[in-house]
Amino acid sequence: MTRTATFQWLILMALTAAAVGLSRSGLSDSALLVPVLLMTLIKGRIVIDRFMALQGVAAPWRWIVLGWLLLVLSLIGYAFHMTQT
Amino acid sequence: MNVSMSLSLPHGNRRELPGDLAMWFFILAELLVFGIFFLAYAFARTRNVELFNASQLELDKLSGAINTVLLISSSYFVVRAVDKIRHGLARACAHWLLAAMALGGAFLVVKLVEFADKFEAGISLSTNTFFMFYLGLGFFHFMHVVLGMVILGAVALKAWKGGYSAADHVGVETGASYWHMVDLVWIVLFPLIYVLR
Repeated sequence: MTRTATFQWLILMALTAAAVGLSRSGLSDSALLVPVLLMTLIKGRIVIDRFMALQGVAAPWRWIVLGWLLLVLSLIGYAFHMTQT
Repeated sequence: MNVSMSLSLPHGNRRELPGDLAMWFFILAELLVFGIFFLAYAFARTRNVELFNASQLELDKLSGAINTVLLISSSYFVVRAVDKIRHGLARACAHWLLAAMALGGAFLVVKLVEFADKFEAGISLSTNTFFMFYLGLGFFHFMHVVLGMVILGAVALKAWKGGYSAADHVGVETGASYWHMVDLVWIVLFPLIYVLR
């Protein structure tokens, strides 16, 4: 378990570094939007499913929290996309 | 996404909700409130894009990134604490919780330094809409970190005194769930305020 949790933590660290790196890479604002949101979604899912240990828990708890994450990130993406077109 | 799906569960494969049910209702309420604030920021920005983009340049992205590392690492420490108590190692559980609190404390220090820099530069809640959200959301989350540290401290103390065991550790899972929620919210807040433009 310890190795698995450590691996998950390292993935979260790597995704954080990747998001910051992308933001400093000179990519356009629109090119940055989708990858950063996807990385945030993956990070959030790891926290929800693995750290919060909601994976395998009876409905609806996991889906409410995952649904919150997906809905919020989707609407954020929509709002930012509106200003880039 | 597929990477995380291939990993095994840190707390074992079970069907019960970890921690106390009441805490989960509290967590859902907190997520709802934060979600509304996040969307208020995102849609308020659509009316003031240039102002938001210009103001965002004044933020210290490195501080935000450091705080992300601190909170994610503290969440990992809490996972380790839960694992220890599941094996009946109460003192080790308390140690990991104290380590998580130390990182939470470091988060608060970094945030206070960041806020102090802004106040020294003459920036306040009334400077503009972007900084109203930046300071308001930041302070709101800050207070949740403080509350989370209080909860972890109470759990660590009880664990240290032998109040939890491998068979009875709902309190540890309850505190852990709250702390992970604080981490989850920051994981969204950081790219929203500091990174996306």
